[in-house]
Order: sequence, then C-alpha cells, then structure tokens
Amino acid sequence: MAAVTAPETAPATETRAEATSTSPTAGSIWRGARGGVVIGVLVVVVAVLTALVTGTSTEGRRLDPADATLSGSKALAEILRQRGVRVERVTTVDDALRLDGPGAQLLVPNTVTLSSADAARLARTRADRLLVGPVIGLTTLAPGVAVRSQVAVRSREPACDLPAAARAGSAHIGGATFTAGAGGVGCYPSDEGPSLVRTTSGPTVTVLGNGAFMTNQRLPEDGNAALAINLAGARPVLIWLVPPERERPAPGSGRASAADLIPAGVPWAVAQLVVALLLVAFWRGRRLGPVVVERLPVVVRAAETVEGRGRLYRARRARDRAAAALRAASVARLTPRLGLAADATPQEIVAATALRTGQDPRWVGSVMYGPVPSDDAGLVALAGHLDTLERQAREP
Amino acid sequence: MALTGRAGLIAALGAVGVLFAPRPLYAVLGLLLLVGALVAVDLLFAGGVRPLRFRRAGERLVRLGEPVAVELVVENPGRRRVRGTLRDAWPPSAGAAPRHQRLDVPAGERRRLVTTLTPTRRGDREAVTVTVRSVGPLGVAARQGSHSVPWSVRVLPPFLSRKHLPAKLSKLRELEGQHPALVRGQGTEFDSLREYVVGDDVRSIDWRATARRADVVVRTWRPERDRRVLIVLDTGRTAAGRVGTSPLSRASGPGGAGWPRLDWSMDAALLLAALASRAGDRVDFLAHDRVVRAWMSGGSRTDSLSALVNVMAPIEAELVEADSASMVAAVLARARRRCLVVLLTDLNAAAMDEGLLPVLPQLAARHLVLVASVADPRVAEMAAGRGTAELVYDAAAAEHLRGERARLTARLRRHGCEVVDATPDDLAPALADAYLALKAAGRL
Repeated sequence: MAAVTAPETAPATETRAEATSTSPTAGSIWRGARGGVVIGVLVVVVAVLTALVTGTSTEGRRLDPADATLSGSKALAEILRQRGVRVERVTTVDDALRLDGPGAQLLVPNTVTLSSADAARLARTRADRLLVGPVIGLTTLAPGVAVRSQVAVRSREPACDLPAAARAGSAHIGGATFTAGAGGVGCYPSDEGPSLVRTTSGPTVTVLGNGAFMTNQRLPEDGNAALAINLAGARPVLIWLVPPERERPAPGSGRASAADLIPAGVPWAVAQLVVALLLVAFWRGRRLGPVVVERLPVVVRAAETVEGRGRLYRARRARDRAAAALRAASVARLTPRLGLAADATPQEIVAATALRTGQDPRWVGSVMYGPVPSDDAGLVALAGHLDTLERQAREP
Repeated sequence: MALTGRAGLIAALGAVGVLFAPRPLYAVLGLLLLVGALVAVDLLFAGGVRPLRFRRAGERLVRLGEPVAVELVVENPGRRRVRGTLRDAWPPSAGAAPRHQRLDVPAGERRRLVTTLTPTRRGDREAVTVTVRSVGPLGVAARQGSHSVPWSVRVLPPFLSRKHLPAKLSKLRELEGQHPALVRGQGTEFDSLREYVVGDDVRSIDWRATARRADVVVRTWRPERDRRVLIVLDTGRTAAGRVGTSPLSRASGPGGAGWPRLDWSMDAALLLAALASRAGDRVDFLAHDRVVRAWMSGGSRTDSLSALVNVMAPIEAELVEADSASMVAAVLARARRRCLVVLLTDLNAAAMDEGLLPVLPQLAARHLVLVASVADPRVAEMAAGRGTAELVYDAAAAEHLRGERARLTARLRRHGCEVVDATPDDLAPALADAYLALKAAGRL
C-alpha cells in the first residue's frame, strides 16, 4: 500500500515549490500603476463632462452686430441691412461722431463702458439715441429719464401708444424701469414703471431697461424681432457703438503676450488649486495626537574636558606644560620597571634608564629632564624619544 | 476633526472643471460648498471617538535593550463602527512601534492592539495619550480625539555584566569550597562541630568538646558570611559624563555618544550585589548626590537583586555637585555595623579634593571603603597619540589627567581605601575581583 501511495505524493510535493520569480507580472504592474491611471481618467472625465455640460467656452460679445453667438446681435444687424438700413458698427466715440447726422440713430448697448467725457460728447450729437440697459449716466445722454427700479426680464405687453411698440406687441423685456419726465412716453410697464421710455425733447432718445430681446437667442421669440427692427431701423443710418474689443491677438501673430494666451479660466483654476493645496496642507498638517515631550538626559562625553585641555595647550603653545606632563608620565611608568623607589632622584632615574637601555646618559638626561622643546616639532620628537626609552626599558 | 487626502483630491480634480467652466467663480464656490458638504456628512456619520473605552494589559518591567509588548483593548460602545487610525503615544525613548495602527471596531465590539516598546534608556516610561482618528463613510473627513490611558513600563538596567557571574561564582566556590573546610585560615569563621572521621586533620580536633563527649570531635570552618556590603552610587554631575561605547548600540553602527558613567557603575554594582548575595552577604544600596536619591536595605537574599534592579531603574544623574559630607553622614546613619562601603564615583581630582577626601577618614574609621571608578578609554587612546603636534598636545593633556588620577588613587590608598579604576568593560569584573580578594583576605 505504501509502495502505491509514495509515487502519488512525490509530484504533489514537487508542484508545491515556492515561486521565486521576482520580475513584475502584468498584475503587479497594474496594481502599481492603477492609482495614477484612475486619477488620469478622473481628470479627463471631469474635463469632458464640464465641456459637454457648459458647451463652448467662448463667451459672446453681448449685443454686438458682428457676433453670431447667442448673446450677440448679428441676426438683427443682418435683417436691418436687408431692409436697407445702413448699420455701422463702431467701437470708438470718435468714429460715432464722424457718422453723426440728422438721419442717423446712435445705438449704445452698454453705457457702462462710456466715460463721462465720452457721454457728454455723445450727448451733443444730432442723431437719435437708442440706449439699451444696463444704463448709467442717463442724466447726460437722456435728460429727464431716471432709473427707478429693477424688474425681471420676461414677456410684457406694450400698453402704450408708441407705434413701434404697439405694432410689435408683447416682447421679452424688463430689467431697469424708468421714470419718464414731462413729454416722455413709457411702454412695457410693470408695477415699478415702464421698461421702455422715449423722450422727444431735442433728439429722440429711447431708453430700454434690457437688451435681451435683441440678441440672436431671443430675437425669434415673441414680438422681439418686430420691436427691435422698429426701434433700431427707425433711421436710415444706425451707428452701433459697441465697447472696444479687448485686444486679443491671435497666437503666432507676434503681438501676443503670455497673459493674452492664457485662457480666462486659468486664474480661477489656480485659485481652486490653492484651495486644494490648503486642504492638503490641513490633511498633512493635522497631527495624530499631541507632541510628546520628554526630559532628556545630558549627552556630554566625559573626555571633553581632556580634549579641551589639549586644545588649550595647543592654542597657547604650552610646550612647557605638555612636555612636563609627558615626562612625568614616562617617569612614573619607568620607575617601578627599573626597580626604583617612587622618591628616586632624577640622577638615579637617568642613570638606571641609561644602564637599562644602553643609551648615552647625557641624551637620556636631556630627554627626561632637559630643556623645554623650542617648537612643536621638538615636542613631537620628545614624545617619540620618551616612547623609545620606555620601549627599550620594557624589552632590553 | 481631520481631513483625508480625498478632500484635497476632490478640490484638485475640481480645478480641471474650473478651467473649462463658463463661470469659474461660481465653479470655485460650488466646489467649496461640495467639499464642505462632504466633510459635514462624514463628520456626522463617523463613529464617535469620545465614547470609546480603553484597557491596557501587558508587561510592566523590561530590561533595557529588550522589547516589551503592551496591549491596548479598544471597546466601542457606540452605535457606529469606528474605522480609522490609532496612535498609542509614548515618549520617544520608549521606542514604541508601530507609530500608527489601523483600527476597525464594529459597534459593540472590542479589538486588541499591540504596541511593542524597545526602550533606549533606563527609567520609567509613561504612556502619554491614545489618539483615534475615526474616518467617516465617504473617507473625506474624520473625527479625532484623544484619551488618557495610563500605563507605565519600568526599564531596568540591562545587567550586561551578568555574563561574568558564572566565572566569579566559581571563583567564590573555590574560595569557600563546596564543603566546609577543616583548615582554619584567614577569611574563615567557625562553622560547626562534628564527629571525627578517619582522614580528618588531627589539628582540627576540638579537645574541649571531645572532653565533654565520648567521641572525638573536630571543628569545621567556613568562609565568613553575613557580612554587610553597602553600595553607594554617586549620582552627581560626574556620573552624567558619557564613557566608552554604548553596549546596546554596538550592533547597529557606532556607539554614539557612549553610555553614562552612572550606567556603567550600576552594571558593576549589580554584578557585585549578585555575587555578594550568593556569598551570603547582605547588600544595601544607597544613591546620593546632594540628597538621598534611593535607599534599599537588603532584605531577604532571594529577591534582593530584583529589588535592587527596581530601585536603580529610575535613577538619573543630576547636574549638581555631589555633597560628600552629607553622603558620609547618610552612610554612617544607615550602617551601624562595620561593613564594606563600595563607593561608585569618579576619580575627579577637583571634586575629590573639595568633597570626599576631607570626610573620608570619618568613613574609613568605621568601615572598609572601596572606591570604584570608570576610567575613560578615550583618555588612554589620546595618551597614545603621537605624530603631529595636535595629537601630542592631546596626549599631554591625557597624561596630565592620568597623573592626577594616579596621585588621587595613591592618596586614597593612604587613607586605607581600596581603589578600583577600570575601563567601562572591565569595571564590573574588576570590582567583583576586588570583593573576592577582600573576602579571601578576611577583611570584610
């Protein structure tokens, strides 16, 4: 029976041999790299999701006749051109003044960017004025009109006799509401007052609380298009004053500075990274429990006093003391070896040493009791001589 | 409260989103809100740290250089699972490992954690705090709190010189013989009377006792016993100086700053105490600098060594000049019978001139004094320096010190003291030999 079972167990023990390979397997490489891979995938997913959710990141220029994005007004400008209105897009007050004339209408979609000096210059033009909110500096550009309140932008009924508004019907308007002075007409009223005001003392000035109905996005809705065309196309020439474009030179044009090429989101992303850094700092900086203090023993080598004394000898070139110490130590070691009493005289010690070592007694005397060495080399030599004498006395 | 790396990771990944967001400011604020909300949720649902209950068990004594395990039982009476990290904080010289441990205690259960201490220094080591960081379910934030769970481990002197004990004990046995001697000599005392058997030395027959009885009776002798040995340890400033190489760090790299004289002296004292208690002598111990630091009166012989080790453990060198007069007074007050006073101190000429030498006659008149001191091997090394001027100046300084020590030794011997001046490794056996020699000479 045993003979049968033995061959069966043998291969079993063989296959149980330990694996000794240390080279990385596919599994171990994956385990090592998966952290980085996961983070990389997360970064890509977050970027793609953000891009998909928010659409294109290029922000349109609001109420710009040359802008085809949702917030631009290219559609309105094109319609006006088809209807024979000369739409002139200008970016500076100087250009606007050059086109000034009785048959012109000046459209200012954003008075916020105008300086008070520019506003004053525009106020002197003969052209009609169409001011679109947000509006400030009304006292210069639209005398007699004042901002009263803010209301939501939504579809409103004209409720006035102004032909342009009455024909257009309800429109998407709101924003600022105004109080029209004497002779002013107010349309699209809310509880807080009208959002469209026209005064005709002097050049016709029309003030709109909000220009959303003129954008490409809102133009097809409601009576927006009609209202916009009626208002903007009232004169043969429309001077459309948009804020000057921020210089955005194209990459490679040579005029681009590094700051121009950085996308607008980068500083905010950096701010977010700072937040992340603070969080990480708090994570790493939080200690797990208090710092443990301990009363530690002094750590001082006992030999430090001796080393200090040696350094003092060296600093002061104290050859006399050094030589005396070396000689005294040698004599103390030699005396018992030479069979002399501890109170033996120098002469006895010199004589006995010379006898034992076979050296010249005068030389032995000068080594053991001679003058102080005149320099450091002499001191080193003296130490050597004393060693020699001791060695010879030990093993004659 | 504490955060984990995930909070930072979420914020960092959010930076990518901010980069592409149309309203970056709102994205930044939104991410802040998100992280804040996650942290709040985690803090709300993390297991509570405050209600945790702790219990300790394990060793309270360990020899220096050996590891000791201390158990910590964590009980979670709360309703939520406590998962996270635990730190059992000990002083650095306790050598606690691991520094942090993973902790996972389901509600109503308990877990046992083991911290291994490998102390690097003698003395009492007190556990400081137990800090638990309980991570919330999202792993973004954690609750953190500390508990005080007292426990102390006394780190005993390593008694490295016990390797010399067998040799010294065999010497002692040689001295006293395994059997009572029949020959009277120095260092023996009367043991008993017994019947004469053929082969006994006839000179040892006690005729007076023989006359009282019908048989011939001999006297037997044995080495004198029940002597007193008082070990006095000087814990003044000179004991703090480090000498030689630390025997515990020899295995791992250079000896560092060496070992204090105090520890070498303790090592020698322990060997002497072990030997003396085996020889039937009573060992007392006194540690003194300006006041009495420790006093142990040798009680029963069986446990005197462990008691001595226990008394020695917390003693540290104080950075004050030892007051020899008060030390002598303390010795005289405690030792009324004549005894062997083993004074473990440093042969420092300046300190001895002022301190011990004036009061030594007082002590030597009533007791036998043995002064034992640790010599610094570094001094011998420096004294052999030759070749350059620097080395020779150092050698001169070393010879100066050795000369002072030799003169001091001679003065002490004139006062009738025994002196043992040996390098750290040799001190313990040299002191044991001196004791055995005194015992053999019957001078105790």
